[in-house]
Amino acid sequence: MNRYKLRKSVSYIIITISSLIMFVPFLSTVFNSLKNYAQYTAVPPKWIPNPVQWSNYSEVWKLGPFGQYTMNSAIVTVLSVIGALISCSMVAYAFARIEFPFRNSLFMVVLGTMMIPPVVLIIPQFVIFKNLSMLDTLTPLWLLEWLAQPFGIFLMRQAFLAIPKDYEESAKLDGCNPFQIYWRIFMPMCKPTFATLAVFTFMTKWNEILSPAIFLTSKENFTLPIGILSLGGQYNGSEQYVVAAAMLSLVPILLVFLFAEKYFVQGSNSAGIK
Amino acid sequence: MKHLAFKRGALILAVLMLSSILLSACSGSTKKEEGEVSPGDKKQEQVELRLGYYSSAQTDAKMQELVKKFQDSHPNIKVKTESAPYGQFFQKLDTQIAAGNAPDVWLSDGVLVPKYAERGALKDLTDLIGKDLKHDDYYGLDFNKDVNGKYWGVPQGIQIGVLYYNKDLFDAAKVAYPTTDWTWDDLKAAAEKLTLDTNGKYATDAAFDGKKVKQYGLTFFSITEGWMPVLKSFGGGVLDPTLQKSIINSPENKKALDWIVDGMNRHLLPTPADLKSFQSNMAPFPSKAAAMRIGIYARTMDANNAGLNYDVTLLPKGPDGKRFSPVIANSWVINKKAENQIGDAAWEWVKFWATTDEAQKEWASLGEAVPVKKSVANSDQFLNGKPANKKAFLDSFDFAGTLDVNAVWSEWVGKFNDSINRAFQGEIPVDQALSTADKDVQQVLDEFYKKK
Repeated sequence: MNRYKLRKSVSYIIITISSLIMFVPFLSTVFNSLKNYAQYTAVPPKWIPNPVQWSNYSEVWKLGPFGQYTMNSAIVTVLSVIGALISCSMVAYAFARIEFPFRNSLFMVVLGTMMIPPVVLIIPQFVIFKNLSMLDTLTPLWLLEWLAQPFGIFLMRQAFLAIPKDYEESAKLDGCNPFQIYWRIFMPMCKPTFATLAVFTFMTKWNEILSPAIFLTSKENFTLPIGILSLGGQYNGSEQYVVAAAMLSLVPILLVFLFAEKYFVQGSNSAGIK
Repeated sequence: MKHLAFKRGALILAVLMLSSILLSACSGSTKKEEGEVSPGDKKQEQVELRLGYYSSAQTDAKMQELVKKFQDSHPNIKVKTESAPYGQFFQKLDTQIAAGNAPDVWLSDGVLVPKYAERGALKDLTDLIGKDLKHDDYYGLDFNKDVNGKYWGVPQGIQIGVLYYNKDLFDAAKVAYPTTDWTWDDLKAAAEKLTLDTNGKYATDAAFDGKKVKQYGLTFFSITEGWMPVLKSFGGGVLDPTLQKSIINSPENKKALDWIVDGMNRHLLPTPADLKSFQSNMAPFPSKAAAMRIGIYARTMDANNAGLNYDVTLLPKGPDGKRFSPVIANSWVINKKAENQIGDAAWEWVKFWATTDEAQKEWASLGEAVPVKKSVANSDQFLNGKPANKKAFLDSFDFAGTLDVNAVWSEWVGKFNDSINRAFQGEIPVDQALSTADKDVQQVLDEFYKKK
């Protein structure tokens, strides 16, 4: 009994410490967003803002069209998530289940493109989108996701490979064509993986800086991260506004996590085989 | 059979995509040709001018206001603004230049003008400046003059270094305020009386604990607000007048660096590692953790925001009485490809900015930079307000210079800092830092200039 208690308290202490390590930076960000400039830079740092500067948040709203920025980010993110889920899963299905020449070497090529840093691709992409007259629109930001990005392909292919062949064969016996197998059998069975890919794409797109900075030029087309960065100038010290704006941009991410959490903990997909 | 259909589909798709790319590429180039009309009906022709600049939310509003005024007085020019946050602006600009799609006129950080000029991206403005701007009416035109006497930009606003001091901290330590007669040694003597540890002991006290400094005598960071003014007023420097050869390994530089390293060893100045404990490298002075700083004009914004009781004066003299004030002239530059009406329109914008009192005054009201036009800079509107001795910024033009800016400025500064920071941290002696820096910087210079 005593040993059990000891073990339990030790694990609670470890959990408490590690959650504090996670939580304290977040808390200090919340506090920083409520300080004025003098408190923000104070040495030694003062943790608790006094007086609490709620006006930072309203000031941020006044300094830029943050409603518009949020809307733009939402459009880009939602379209990207839909595009990534459809395109990556279709390509992944082909790589996992359809026989075609050079399948494995093509897959290696796909994996190889994952190694290319995005900065290297940005100039050719810029030229392509310039020639398609798509600069300064939101299109380049989500269009690429509809063309199946390698990470998503890899992720979905691994999930599809784990599905036993028996499912496919019984579906075939019942008269399903490959598309129906993909749509009716594979998609529902890989919900957790889809959720992972959705959350991953959501976060990448929501926080993306490089592409929007390069492709967008008009203020009304800016996405949230660019809007937030434009609060800080070359010289001026209003970092507390930047922090407040970053806090605001966190809200949608937190909401998505709250709703998507159950998919992460959802059980295995092999329960159907006897 | 299935394979064949698939292949055919893929082929059709590929052809479609290719043709749409080609089509839009063609339509893009025809538009440009339509724009070129005979010089006869130049006046009536509408021109669209692409204006690129970096901004914050606060400065962007003012810029838009000025753009509107410019369009009102130039009805044939329609300005399309392209702004981005500072860091992203130059990332985008490099991409745009590589793709041949840079704005017609843009705002360049002063230290980056030669980078674009020497790589052939900018238009030579020598003749236009000679024709339209009266040289003596403006501050800092020469800061964009290269070694061949060519001008590549017109300053948008000027950053110039002075000595900032916090009056409250001087009063608390009972130290007399800095004067214009100060040498760097006078500054260090005062800094000793102003450096305070967490137990409330000043550095002059035997019980002073250098490991627990709460307040530094002088904060010190990197080039502009760190080593460059010290090096130059000690008679040293980094590059020779051709800006292609390193002169780092000199006795003057050794003396200057000894002065700095001694200050850091005695904890009167923060080392680069000490600065890491602050919100930013710029934070010690506004957060009252430093009694003095070498600061450019824009630092008045932070100091005013933090509500400091402070003032400014000229930077100290070197051992031989030499002074040096570092300058960064952020400038309007014109795209080399902007020709005919677009080139004219671009120059109209630059001229509007520099010559109109209204534009100069409006921009100065942001408090970000010293106005380029002398009459505006010397007006009460600019000189009134905090800090009281704003005149010091204008007086410093007498001994001001750029930061040995050339086409590979960012690269050599990086190399120089790598070595010198190790000496500041006490890892290597000053001699060794100088000889390594000399070799590394020369290599950077040779890689660019020898290949050309």
